[in-house]
Amino acid sequence: MLEGVVNLMGGRRRVNVLEIVVIAVTLAMIVAFSFVIDGFATPGNFKVILSNSVSLVILSCGMGVVVISRGLDLSLIAVMVAGATIFSVQIDAGMPASLALLVTIGAMVLVGLINAWLIAYVEIPAMLATLASAMLVAGLCRFAILRGEFLVLLPQSNPAVMFFASDIVPGISVPVALMLATLFACWFLLHYSAAGRTLYAMGDNFQAARLSGLPVRTTTITIYIFAAFAALLAGLVTSSASGAVDFRTVTNGGLLFEVILAVVLGGIPLRGGRGGVRNILLGVALIAVMRNGMTLMNFTTQTQDVFKGLVLLLAVVTDNYLNPRDTETDTVGDL
Amino acid sequence: MLYGMGDKLRSATKGILIGACIALGVSAPAFADSNIAGKKVIFVPITMGISLTEGWARRMNQHADIYGYSVDIRDAAFNTGAMSELLAKAISEKPDVLVVHNPTVQLLSRQIKQAESEGIKVLQINLQSNQSSAAFVGANWERIGREIAEDIVAECGAGTGKSGKVAIIPGQLTAADSVMMNDAAFKVFEQHPEMEVVSNQASDWEPEKARQITATVLQQHPDLCAIFGHWDVHTIGAGKAVLDAGLDDQVLVYATGGGDDVACKAIEDKVLDRMWSYDADGQGRDAATMIDVLLQGGAAADGSMLIVESPMKIIKAGDAYDPDLCWKM
Repeated sequence: MLEGVVNLMGGRRRVNVLEIVVIAVTLAMIVAFSFVIDGFATPGNFKVILSNSVSLVILSCGMGVVVISRGLDLSLIAVMVAGATIFSVQIDAGMPASLALLVTIGAMVLVGLINAWLIAYVEIPAMLATLASAMLVAGLCRFAILRGEFLVLLPQSNPAVMFFASDIVPGISVPVALMLATLFACWFLLHYSAAGRTLYAMGDNFQAARLSGLPVRTTTITIYIFAAFAALLAGLVTSSASGAVDFRTVTNGGLLFEVILAVVLGGIPLRGGRGGVRNILLGVALIAVMRNGMTLMNFTTQTQDVFKGLVLLLAVVTDNYLNPRDTETDTVGDL
Repeated sequence: MLYGMGDKLRSATKGILIGACIALGVSAPAFADSNIAGKKVIFVPITMGISLTEGWARRMNQHADIYGYSVDIRDAAFNTGAMSELLAKAISEKPDVLVVHNPTVQLLSRQIKQAESEGIKVLQINLQSNQSSAAFVGANWERIGREIAEDIVAECGAGTGKSGKVAIIPGQLTAADSVMMNDAAFKVFEQHPEMEVVSNQASDWEPEKARQITATVLQQHPDLCAIFGHWDVHTIGAGKAVLDAGLDDQVLVYATGGGDDVACKAIEDKVLDRMWSYDADGQGRDAATMIDVLLQGGAAADGSMLIVESPMKIIKAGDAYDPDLCWKM
């Protein structure tokens, strides 16, 4: 019956059903954790949830935009770590922070351009192109820049560490301000730019978008540069907060999994064409609350992974049920 | 006359003996050289690119240069699947000594047994598997866990006026060092009912995960007294969370590690408070010496495992702080 009701609705309305499910589950968890866990429902804990989610939100903005256009950026975490590495190495070498940041932005834009060129011009599937570039970027950084090192430990005197640990205005830390800026940029890109309208069309039906004369190639460039830029910001925030740039974040794969989980859970289907900033926030909220609750309940990381995997599976199945495959989807194909 | 001849004979004999001794003395290293030169050692670490393994490799290569044997390093780059494959390949090459850095107590035990059964001497370094082999060089994890727990009890336990709350941040719950340190620490804490372990969550050795876990735990337990991180690298993330929360004067951050200059810098930055260092540089030299011994055919008389326990260096913030306790690559 639910399927029948849902099918009567338009596409946007159908997504709303999944959003409602995610909101309900998040609220249910908040209520349950508030009763079960001492100290969960406190302003301080919600502040911790927020600060622990900053990099996830920024990365999810990058991934969300890519997924809406029916792409996938598996190089996101490698770019994040590479950006933080390049910046830190330059700072260690005594370069001024502003110049180091400019060079790093340039390098990351180049990675985004290469990804976009491989996808839009060489026409390699996004998943394979970004998987290859992830390996290339991580490997190149480790062996050409770090000479085999796996970690860069940042002292407290590092200007990036000092900057990101400060408040931009009283009560709002620099990372939180950057997260808000990224969310605004993402919202603006999706709703108030030509590239934004084009990427929805690309996600809905790529062939139709291209045949109708939309600039799919230049839009792909915009999308992947935006994703690379988001990854760089997340890298700077994360490395400054933890005091380390750690290449195991790339090899472990856990963070990439969380980013895809946040995007899909929030209601941006992997087949693209739908979703927005609201979906990113919903997905991250669910993961952040779940992660915080499980940490407070002293669950092991392995147990946490099991629960996150189950939730992702549930979300994909629900999405498939609410947005069933049709002739158009089959024609255009999945990722 | 006979007496005079006897004297001359005695002098000549003395001369020959002294000459022989000098000759033997001079040629002693040459004997060692010829004995083990050209032999092959393969080192399979969990990863290269961290000061711990780079420090060990440096000392191993120094000894290899002196004695003329080779040390091949097969970097598993934190990939346990790749590590098993690299070890299988290393065993097939029949080296004289295999140096293995176990990520868990179980993962490589069958391969270590296989290597030993094929006549390859296996030196386990720092992290021991549940399969014994020719030799082990490394830290005594039981001792580290016990000593840190006892220090925490002294700082946070009865009579201190502190909460007695402790958060433990292992690397992985199945890692050899984490298993042994946790066992030893919990034995100490169990004897002190005032102590409460409020969190025992693995960080997968990642500083960012350790930071997030610590930030969350501190929120729930703002009166936390101590954090026991099982490796200095990821514990730096935990220490950053303590600093960010403004609780660095209240929460003591304990860590273990190889004790390079980065650890001392973290103590100077108030990110870490106390560090049980197993001195990776000294460990590398011990491992290299053990390789020399194994290549020369050294073995325990009863066939048991040769064990060299790494001496501890305890680095503390405050008046007792001594940066010379750390080493630099």
